[in-house]
Amino acid sequence: MNKMLSWLLSWVLLATLSSTASAALNVFVCEPEWGALVNEIAGNRATVFSATTAMQNPHVVQARPSLIAHARNADLVVYSGAELEVGYLPVILQQSGNDKILVGKPGNLDASKYVPLIEVPGILDRSQGDVHPMGNPHIHYDPRNMLLVGEELKKRLIQIDPAGAADYEARYKAFNQRMSAAIKQWERQAAPLKGVAVIENHKEVSYLFNWLGMPVVGSLEPKPGVEPTSGHLLELVENQKVHPAKMIVPTSNRDPKPSEWLSERIKVPVVTIPLTVGSSGHAKDLFSLYDDAIKSLLAGLKS
Amino acid sequence: MLRRNAPPRGRTITALAIIFAFGLPAAARAQAKSDLDEIRQQIQDLKGAYESRIQALEKRLKGAEETAASAQSSAGKAEASADKAAATAESARTQTVSPIQATQNAFNPAISLILDGTYGNFKQDPTKYAITGFQPPGATSPGDRGFSLGESELFVTANVDHVFMGALNFSLHGDDTTSIEEAYFQTLALGSGLTLKGGRFFSAIGYQNSIHAHAWDFVDTSLVQHAFLGDNYGDDGLQLTWVAPLPVFVEVGGALGRGRNLAGTFQGGGLVANDLNKNGVGAGSAFLHVGGDVGDSNAYRVGVSTLRTSTGTNVFPLADFDPTTTSFTNGDIRLYGADFVWKWAPDGNYQYRNFKFVAEWFQIHRDGDLTGPGGTGPFSQRQAGWYVQGAYQFHPYWRVGLRYDQLQRGSFDGGVNAASLIPPDFTPKRYSAMIDWNPSEFSRIRLQYNEDKSQLGLTDHQIFVQYIYSLGTHGAHKF
Repeated sequence: MNKMLSWLLSWVLLATLSSTASAALNVFVCEPEWGALVNEIAGNRATVFSATTAMQNPHVVQARPSLIAHARNADLVVYSGAELEVGYLPVILQQSGNDKILVGKPGNLDASKYVPLIEVPGILDRSQGDVHPMGNPHIHYDPRNMLLVGEELKKRLIQIDPAGAADYEARYKAFNQRMSAAIKQWERQAAPLKGVAVIENHKEVSYLFNWLGMPVVGSLEPKPGVEPTSGHLLELVENQKVHPAKMIVPTSNRDPKPSEWLSERIKVPVVTIPLTVGSSGHAKDLFSLYDDAIKSLLAGLKS
Repeated sequence: MLRRNAPPRGRTITALAIIFAFGLPAAARAQAKSDLDEIRQQIQDLKGAYESRIQALEKRLKGAEETAASAQSSAGKAEASADKAAATAESARTQTVSPIQATQNAFNPAISLILDGTYGNFKQDPTKYAITGFQPPGATSPGDRGFSLGESELFVTANVDHVFMGALNFSLHGDDTTSIEEAYFQTLALGSGLTLKGGRFFSAIGYQNSIHAHAWDFVDTSLVQHAFLGDNYGDDGLQLTWVAPLPVFVEVGGALGRGRNLAGTFQGGGLVANDLNKNGVGAGSAFLHVGGDVGDSNAYRVGVSTLRTSTGTNVFPLADFDPTTTSFTNGDIRLYGADFVWKWAPDGNYQYRNFKFVAEWFQIHRDGDLTGPGGTGPFSQRQAGWYVQGAYQFHPYWRVGLRYDQLQRGSFDGGVNAASLIPPDFTPKRYSAMIDWNPSEFSRIRLQYNEDKSQLGLTDHQIFVQYIYSLGTHGAHKF
């Protein structure tokens, strides 16, 4: 027992020393897109840990021990909010015993609080599926939201790490300029996509469609968070006659089978787009994420 | 923004207005008139401020609307967003009208309700169920024959303030009794990885023990948990945990309690754990958890734990022996446990397929004074038990699970009674298989079969059909 205790203590001591030696902020993000945003604004002043990868459904996440360990050491937590992480984040924050990242502290950044949310449900009833009362939490697919959240992130970073204020200001300014210019360019590129009707998989891409003005005429999920059923897919086939869609747009983390089945029936292409940064070889950062998505949609339009 | 700022100011001004309008004598009213006007002006200003905010909001939404409208073929969509803009502006307007009413409810705690019921089919009489050589501390029966209502659980939780959170879990049992399963506070802001919990709560020993029945992977708990700890071992007391500042998860903790419950000792018929009418501490526990990820697809947690309780001077029967001639007292009861949980999902995406494996082992030490046919003298008993179980979700809606349970009678040193009291040489076992259907995160229908060989000479075939529904706040579950 004594041996184990001294082993544990020396380990802790070592970890404490090594963590003070590296001055970088520890930032815990729930989804990879926020990690990408932190990288843009904090550069190497921050070390990012992401609770989920681009291959995962950000709503179906286990409160893994590794998440508690990383939250314990975090200076800042950045998450989408609007109840996307409701199934695990409260447990992680509670169990980590880290007062820096509590709700209301500068170290707790709920991104959904700083952007206008769309698809706020009129009826709050679970018979409508796993609806999010505050609105659609998948805010990352509108690049204009990245400017809003980025500005707040910059403020928080300065609050937590005043020594880096000038650095954060400069990086945010550069990011803002680059992103604003890119948005203009994407909007020009995506002009042919305006009004192009699509069938989505889950409401993970609503912000992109909203931004580009692409009406969603159907969803593979019968209700948000409820897996596609054959009955519902048949309804979509019928619906195609009334509200024809030009493409089916699932994200890369979803089961491709329902999209492929429907594609064969209604003879429109499946255009798989990355869910977030890291989903595909192309989507390496925020810029290449939107770039990849728009290019894929444009290619889908031509086919 | 609007909602957060409005209530306190609105409330103060309304209250002031009421005081000024009705609370002052007539003579003072004239003098108060100017004040009243001033307040009216303030209200007007406030209204103006809100108006301008709403206008700003409308302008912003209008901007979005215009962007949408500029698209030649997305007219329908623009209309929808215009409607939404109007609705948002309208709701903002409504909020300014009755901000107080809205905020009072906004502070209601999060509430969730679990509904649970089973249909049971037992070959053997469940009311005569026993585990040979063991004495479960809680209800012995594995369930009821026919249709029966399970536990309806009510969870209420909220942050108390910036320092504490509070939680209550109230259980309504099928037999019309109720119990407080958990009612505790927990610190939020201690920092440095420390968390203090106090009140009544499930002990952190083992893995399954702190999990509420609705989140179990099988209808029933493991045989060893059932035999040594009951469904969930809880106590009134304080618990301190500390998460080490390490890249891997290392958590140590301990708890001190009243000792309301004993491990592995029959507590029916009015027998209480120990002499509760005393100062000090009646039970203690400690635990260590280590965990982490292996790649993106695997996550694990291992734990060791210990629990110590005592019977005090109360007298308890010993399993399998005639309670009128054989009993023990001054019992020192120690429990040692080890647990392992491993979860797998391809790329860590739990949506479609995942696998969960759990193994737990417990050993119980019972030492005390035994009175039997041979007289009274010290005795010492060691018993153990373990289980392994796996649950595989092979489709978003479906899971299957298998479990194997075993108890080990261990060693018994009866002292002066060694010759007259010989425990039966028997190893209780149970095999379980289940399949459940989960149309959403909020409902589960389960079918389970147990081949239960926990009674010497008897094999029980148990079939359960169970429903579990979760209403209200979307709960967060531990690993």
